[in-house]
Amino acid sequence: MTTEPIRVEGDFPVYFRYTVGVAGEKFFREIMENGRLMASRCSSCNLNYLPPRIYCERCMSRLEEYVPVENEGTVEAFTITHQDAEGNPLQEPVGVALVRFPGAYGGLVHRTIDVLAIGDRVRAVFKDKKERTGSILDIKFFEKIS
Amino acid sequence: MQIKKRVAVVGAGMTKFMRRAQETGKELAFEAVRQALDSCNMRIEDIQSVALGSAPDAFDGVHMKGEYLLDGAGAWGKPYSRSFVGGGTGVFSLIHGWWHVASGLFDTCLVVAEEKMSSCLPHPQTAFLTIFDNMIERPLGPNLIWIFALEMQRYMQTYKIPKEQIAQVAVKNKRNALDHPSAQIAQKVTLQDVLNSEVMAYPVQRLDISPVSDGACAIVLASEDVARKITDSPVWIDGVGWNLDTTYWTNRDLYFPRYVANAARMAYAMAGVRNPRKEIDFAEPYDPFDYKELHHMEGLLLCRKGEAPKLTAEGVTERDGNLPVCPSGGLLGVGNPIAAAGLMKICELFWQLRGEAGKRQIPGDPRTAVAQAWGDLMQIGTVVVMRG
Ligand SMILES: [Zn+2]
Repeated sequence: MTTEPIRVEGDFPVYFRYTVGVAGEKFFREIMENGRLMASRCSSCNLNYLPPRIYCERCMSRLEEYVPVENEGTVEAFTITHQDAEGNPLQEPVGVALVRFPGAYGGLVHRTIDVLAIGDRVRAVFKDKKERTGSILDIKFFEKIS
Repeated sequence: MQIKKRVAVVGAGMTKFMRRAQETGKELAFEAVRQALDSCNMRIEDIQSVALGSAPDAFDGVHMKGEYLLDGAGAWGKPYSRSFVGGGTGVFSLIHGWWHVASGLFDTCLVVAEEKMSSCLPHPQTAFLTIFDNMIERPLGPNLIWIFALEMQRYMQTYKIPKEQIAQVAVKNKRNALDHPSAQIAQKVTLQDVLNSEVMAYPVQRLDISPVSDGACAIVLASEDVARKITDSPVWIDGVGWNLDTTYWTNRDLYFPRYVANAARMAYAMAGVRNPRKEIDFAEPYDPFDYKELHHMEGLLLCRKGEAPKLTAEGVTERDGNLPVCPSGGLLGVGNPIAAAGLMKICELFWQLRGEAGKRQIPGDPRTAVAQAWGDLMQIGTVVVMRG
């Protein structure tokens, strides 16, 4: 007779479909159609939220003004990953950076190429317009501005 | 416990309840918060703490949902915490916020409840599969409605209740909801419609059940001294109670929710209510299923055991009856975004007790009311008594 503990296999069989929301619609459509980043503005707090939100987290005003943000920013922090989440080696190391943009509150974490130092200036490189789907991956990566 | 401050509700807000919202959960929370603050002319700077309620993370599909919702809930840079007692969360979130103020720790507290169930596929009830015992029950391939079907059957059998009397609750609540501007499935249905709707798990039929919903609600609380500066008509939270029965549903009295009765006794004692049937002017018990309204009326000691179906059949629980029950339209009519649905009941007490319920207003100047929710592993009762 086996002395192995008796076990039962289980799962949590749900999956999800998320809406991008009211502010997300503005953000992703602007990327899709115009290859441009967009922030929402709180004029009372003088903050431009990137990615945009429909409210200011500081004063809870409703935000209805959207302003363009430059596609060029500065590397706040970066890493180069060599393994995936299960610990398997990646074929090519992948650079990831937190990029901040002039005049914007917030920033984007995204893939990078050529980044070597905090403070490097980088620019968003978009997919061809016809390949964009309304995803954050419509930005291919951020490349270093030499 | 020593209660240091009497606590009032001074503002309320809610989104529409809907099947599929375009808004994110954060955006839904914001809409409710904005409306609640506007309703009492308060700014977010006036709020000292935020109490959030939201049910399983698996509904929105976001782990650490409390933390995720923080900015939409107006909690940036504030003392903030989330409570979660399953379906009981909405009413419990008010108790959570009440504690912040009653303890004397804060003068004001914003209570927010949110649920976005449309994110969860193939169906939100799938997220409940793991509440069944993984060894004993899950190999049978259960679904959530089993629990309610067994409970409803036992209740009907114990008191010889005809299904017509239970179905009457669905007819009443869906009709009441026609007067609620935020309602999702308000409709005129007949008794025959309910009785002819498809059988999901006998005796539970399609129209016995509340829908899947997205939505959010918010409530502003203030201590007595502060509340009197904010409004001439504060609504007082005079009693709170909550209680849990055994985790094993095989060990519960399926025909009577004694945990609700325990929670109700705690809340009534605090509020000085000695005879609930006489002193409670109207009630908002939790009604995710039509029979649960009846179950909960009995748990709330608003009538004798087994008597709620008869009172309903006689029209006593209609809005113009002697004991209006779910004048809002309840979960069966307004909708059931779990945590938000419970807080919707608190909103209804607030509006009714201030005479601000519009077409839903109960006649005769109601003064004392009770709201209740039910959840966790179907074993918690959460109860709040409020006075105008
Ligand atoms: Zn602001």
